[in-house]
Amino acid sequence: MRLILLVLLLCCWPVAESRADTEYRGEQSLWQDAVWSGRVLVDGILTIPSGVTLEIRPGTEVRFTRRDTNDDGIGENEIFIQGVLRVLGTTEQPVRFTSAEAGPAPGDWGAINIMASEEENLLEHCLVEYAYRGFHAHFSNASIKNSVFTHNLRGMQFQESTIVMDGGLVESNFNGMQFRNSEVRLNATRVGDNYWGIRCVYSDLTMSDCEVAGNLINGLNLRDSSLDAKSLLVAGNRKGIYLQRSRGTLENSRILDNSEHGIFLEESDVFVNGNLVAGNGRAGIRWQNSKGRLRGNLLAGNGQYALINDGEGGVDARSNWWGTTDAMAIDTFIRDAEDIVGMGVVDAGNPLAVMPASPLTIAQ
Amino acid sequence: MDLNLRWGVFFISLWLFAACAPVPRQPSVDDLAQMHTISGVLVGQSELGGELYMPGDVLVPAHSTLRLRPGTIIYVLPAEGTKIDPEYLSPETELLVRGTLQINGTVRHPVRFIPLSVPAEGEPAWAGITLANSKDSRIEHAQIEHAETALLLIGSSPEVRSNQLRFNRYGIIAQQGSAPLIIDNVLEKGEAGIFCWLGSHPQLVGNRVADHFEEGVFADASSRPLLQGNQISGNDLGLVLYDQTLAGDLSGVSGNREDLRLLNFDQGRRP
Repeated sequence: MRLILLVLLLCCWPVAESRADTEYRGEQSLWQDAVWSGRVLVDGILTIPSGVTLEIRPGTEVRFTRRDTNDDGIGENEIFIQGVLRVLGTTEQPVRFTSAEAGPAPGDWGAINIMASEEENLLEHCLVEYAYRGFHAHFSNASIKNSVFTHNLRGMQFQESTIVMDGGLVESNFNGMQFRNSEVRLNATRVGDNYWGIRCVYSDLTMSDCEVAGNLINGLNLRDSSLDAKSLLVAGNRKGIYLQRSRGTLENSRILDNSEHGIFLEESDVFVNGNLVAGNGRAGIRWQNSKGRLRGNLLAGNGQYALINDGEGGVDARSNWWGTTDAMAIDTFIRDAEDIVGMGVVDAGNPLAVMPASPLTIAQ
Repeated sequence: MDLNLRWGVFFISLWLFAACAPVPRQPSVDDLAQMHTISGVLVGQSELGGELYMPGDVLVPAHSTLRLRPGTIIYVLPAEGTKIDPEYLSPETELLVRGTLQINGTVRHPVRFIPLSVPAEGEPAWAGITLANSKDSRIEHAQIEHAETALLLIGSSPEVRSNQLRFNRYGIIAQQGSAPLIIDNVLEKGEAGIFCWLGSHPQLVGNRVADHFEEGVFADASSRPLLQGNQISGNDLGLVLYDQTLAGDLSGVSGNREDLRLLNFDQGRRP
């Protein structure tokens, strides 16, 4: 009898999904400032209206049930912030946003959705997983520190927003980060193992000490945008850096082992200075109707070519290191007007005789 | 009914059937409004034919199937290159399949994807078809033109048979463990024909890969394609490989600016 009771007790034991200190069901709004801690269950759409602040204390776990009313594979439950969100995780006690499902999957819930919230939103030491869009913002400001976005359909997506991200990890989502008409600063952030890494249009992107690696389509793709990047590692993507009608600088970075092109510049204007560009499959750099200069780069060990000029204009590629100073050998690393009629000439004059000493060679 | 009459009726019926299949045209706005529209998420089992209008991204989610009957014509509306939402994998209009895609064209009645406008200077008009972890897909006798990548296969191993892929930036990309059977296709006049990336091992049999501005067939160091009886000609680089043993019989690789390019990362003394 005791055995039967024990079995019954075990069968009826409340599973983790049903236990929460706070629960929100259906469509609700917080009408005054609130502080969350412990375990919170969101089984609907929770709105934080303008003028209201939601603060989430260290160690809180926020779980979302799956509700997919139109069978499109995307859950709809979420928190919708028009006020202010302050997520105050710590290294020891991060805040977790996750699915309440027993077998969680990307897209189980909607998003941390911030709309027209121009006060400084803060997400610190968060783990955001199994959402449609882990972080989504329109017309908003946010500072995101030491946070992880993983196993979401889209790690982060925002439009018309100002986002500063420091110490982030955007990993193993379908799409990593995508944004439009935004000003974005990324520091010490890794965007890896997504289908698309980072992609943006009409935006200003500043990056330093970041890693963009292992993305299946493009690592970093900007269109009609500006890029100010230094000390990046862009490795093992299909395309490494792909700039379309964009402008900016790329300095002191390692562009390694991307399957297609390490750097692909299309109608762009970029100063590419002091980078290591090696081991990329089709070409180290593909240059198509672009402006700018290549200076002080290490362009060696790429697959078909170190540099391809696919445009009608010339390429100023003087003073780079090609692994040799033999002009004939350097010619074989370059495809330009000498190889294809109608293409412009690459000026690879004054090749560096000594491999530049730089931070580039420290870690490969 | 005697046998001759039966045969006569049979052939007349066949001719009528053929005559009823839609013929590609430049449809007006009114024409498009009359067509069946496919856009958004196609959940469940869908079998479609005739003339279809695809004004935006289409997603076939996991466990769902899209079948296209012989003779189907899909008119694709190119999207602004700037859209990021809604979108699945590409900024351009795309057909993304996480479930199953069955394109059942025939010699006489191929399935055609026709963009409603084509940008100048070889820019793609639409993204193309992406299979991402798709199961049991088959693409036969399709005509796909002016796409960024006519067929992008990510972790997917469909049968790709007897298709005509022309004027695309890339014809077929097989990546991330894809092992498709790619047989008897024609890939022509794009930037590049077939790419094997990131640990893919497709079987490439009896294809014609011709007249590409760049590579005919490219396999990266992690991929192991089987190459058999392909005609690879008129490309800038015919066959680009890291491992010469993959090249097999090179008799069909000819008339490229450079027929075989073997790569190794020591070239140029990698630092």
